[in-house]
Amino acid sequence: MVKIVTDSCSDITPQLAQKLGIRVVPLYVHFGNEVYRDNVDLSTEGFYNRLEQSKIFPTTSTISPGFAAELFSELAEETNEILTITLSQLFSATYGAALQGKAMVTRDCRIEVIDCQTAIGGQMLLTMKAAQMADSGADLDQIAGWVRGAMSRVHVRVSFDTLEYLRRGGRIGKAQALLGSMLKVNPVIAIRDGATFPIARPRSRAQAMDFLVEFVKGFKHIESLAIEDATTPDELELLAERLKDIVPPERTYRSRVSPVVGAHLGPHALAVSVLEGE
Amino acid sequence: MEAGLVDGQILREMFTSGTAWLEKGVPDINAINVFPVPDGDTGTNMLLTMRSALEEARKNSDRDASSVARSLSHGSLMGARGNSGVILSQFWRGLAKGLDGKASFGGKDLAKALTEASKAAYEGMVHPVEGTMLTVLKDAAEAANQTAKTDSDGLISVLKAAVEAARDSVARTPNLLPVLREAGVVDAGGQGVYVLLDGAFHFLEGDADKIQYWRPHVVAADLPLAARTTPTATELELPYGYCTNFVLKGQKLGLRKIKRALKKKGQSLVVTGDDSTVRVHIHSLKPGEILNYATRHGTLHHIEINNMDDQYVEFIKLQKERLPAVDVAIVAVALGDGFLKLFNSLGTAIVPGGQTMNPSVRQLVQAVELAPSDNVILLPNNKNIIPTASQVERLTSKKVKVIPSRTIPQGIAASLAFSYDMDLEQNSRIMEEATKGVRTLALTKAIRNVQLNGLEIKKGYYIAILNDEALVGSGNNASDVILKALEKTNIANVEIITIYYGAETKDAEAQSIAKEIRDRYPVEVEVLYGGQPYYNYVISLE
Repeated sequence: MVKIVTDSCSDITPQLAQKLGIRVVPLYVHFGNEVYRDNVDLSTEGFYNRLEQSKIFPTTSTISPGFAAELFSELAEETNEILTITLSQLFSATYGAALQGKAMVTRDCRIEVIDCQTAIGGQMLLTMKAAQMADSGADLDQIAGWVRGAMSRVHVRVSFDTLEYLRRGGRIGKAQALLGSMLKVNPVIAIRDGATFPIARPRSRAQAMDFLVEFVKGFKHIESLAIEDATTPDELELLAERLKDIVPPERTYRSRVSPVVGAHLGPHALAVSVLEGE
Repeated sequence: MEAGLVDGQILREMFTSGTAWLEKGVPDINAINVFPVPDGDTGTNMLLTMRSALEEARKNSDRDASSVARSLSHGSLMGARGNSGVILSQFWRGLAKGLDGKASFGGKDLAKALTEASKAAYEGMVHPVEGTMLTVLKDAAEAANQTAKTDSDGLISVLKAAVEAARDSVARTPNLLPVLREAGVVDAGGQGVYVLLDGAFHFLEGDADKIQYWRPHVVAADLPLAARTTPTATELELPYGYCTNFVLKGQKLGLRKIKRALKKKGQSLVVTGDDSTVRVHIHSLKPGEILNYATRHGTLHHIEINNMDDQYVEFIKLQKERLPAVDVAIVAVALGDGFLKLFNSLGTAIVPGGQTMNPSVRQLVQAVELAPSDNVILLPNNKNIIPTASQVERLTSKKVKVIPSRTIPQGIAASLAFSYDMDLEQNSRIMEEATKGVRTLALTKAIRNVQLNGLEIKKGYYIAILNDEALVGSGNNASDVILKALEKTNIANVEIITIYYGAETKDAEAQSIAKEIRDRYPVEVEVLYGGQPYYNYVISLE
């Protein structure tokens, strides 16, 4: 069976990862010299508590090529086909590290590494479908082919209180057009072609949520949906309630941004990701 | 070891020195980090990668150069951090390959190994980008090979050639990579490579002890100076009437008094000097009045008056430079330095104009022509300017849509509703829709005694106008007039009130009015400086 590997920026919950047999590799979050494995040594809640008290701005890092090589070699003992889906290489060096790692593996095992050009919920939906396909007996080429074809059908929207974290972490990209508004706004961005992209400037959190709901409503056919919060579970609950008639709960995945993602989104972020039907 | 050859132990020492040198360069390298992700991490990532490489090399007590190189390669692969770390680990992989089987090496071997290292670095990247550390590694290897051809044993001269070529290559990186040129910096990873090799070279030169008192040299970008000036650093001045400058000489002039008196007469006022010499800068529609006032207090010198319409095109161009490139550009008509900043902060360019100063069709066409897109949305923000704006479309080859915004708050609401995701048609539809959700309350002072709508208005009294049509209140206290006027509007369905205070109005007064509104109604109230002339307050009700 094809082994599916992804990184922790996919925000796949441990329960789902276990159920679907997905290997979620934790990236790292740093507060000065302290290093934590994403969602392993530090939970999202713990991270945001820490963020609130910390004078140091957190930074993030990814696995080394050597680590990837060791992981692949270890997995190659159980399987001869591995599919690795990483977040966009414009956000992280994970893709490069995985490719280098792949080149070092000496065991007889086919390894594919795909930069899925997105992250968070979008990456989650692609990875989970890949794992379901693996479970139903699809081979590496079939699954990799599906992922590459489905990438353009993934649409991510994230609303913010502030884009300051995205800016400081260097991932602001084109969304910087939304920076520096003198009026109070709750900017909404997309992830497009692997990078952040400006979308809109609702004037309040309520309007931002309306925007996210309208965005989901705009699709004719939705295969699956992921919704995530950072620090506002009540709001996520409300969002889920408003979306349950558009996408049935069994095709809606609820999660929470990981600490590594949180270091770049900051508190109060809310995200919806849609895998559009063919 | 033969004379002039490097064994494993020396190789380890060389890069211990190189890493120490790199460590000193980390803050500078982090500071210029813009590519591929401007996260200020490149120096740190390279240092941590090198530390991991050295740790592994120190565990290996072998004197064999190829064995130590393999350890450096393994250590860097395990400890690689970030994109620069991944490339650095490839460099070591190639270098180890190039030194394979060699107990010690000389200049020619080093040149060959550097070539292997550069090749491995390129091969490691799916999409190699020039103007990065890849280019620097390649140029260093090429120079090393050139020198090795003529001086095959001169290890020091080969490494020296590589270091110098790396430095020159770093300086050229902004010419190869536009994102560096825009930021006016050299490539951070390239700088890291240069410092690392330079540190190793210092060791061979016998300067390892000295470098603890030195600091790595930050390579300057090989760019003409003009390319490094950032237009965003300059403050834009709104062209308005006549830019009037003069020096006033007299006795006991009183800076404060002059400031107070002139503030009402124009915009962008700057008054400096002392009791006997005062320098005045102001933009005014009536420079004569300014000069009249000044001559009453002293003598005038160095008088300079320029019609700011002549600076108009330059002003529009400057705005264009600081606005992001988009598929659909927005141009709005407004007056006031606060509104200029506000619209610019939303990505909207401004054409100066308003109630008392309608821009000409020519000015609007110029602004549309200079807008950073072929699709332009025009926000006239005044009912008298809508007809002028409507003529622009047939005078330009660009696609133009006019949103019939009648007030500045409507224009701001339209700008906020703009979606980067939509085309001209869709945007003009949602933006026009957004203007409908906004009401505007404007407060100005009556210039003579009048009777209007059954209201007795004395000269100098405030009058409140709703939606640029209906007179909804008058009185001598701004706060009272505003609160009474709000009662007459349908405030129940208002969520956000934004108060834009004018050039002659104090922030404190605006803040206290905001507080009174908050105390009375369950709405969000924001206060911003609009800097508009004539209107003490322009209030947006959404």
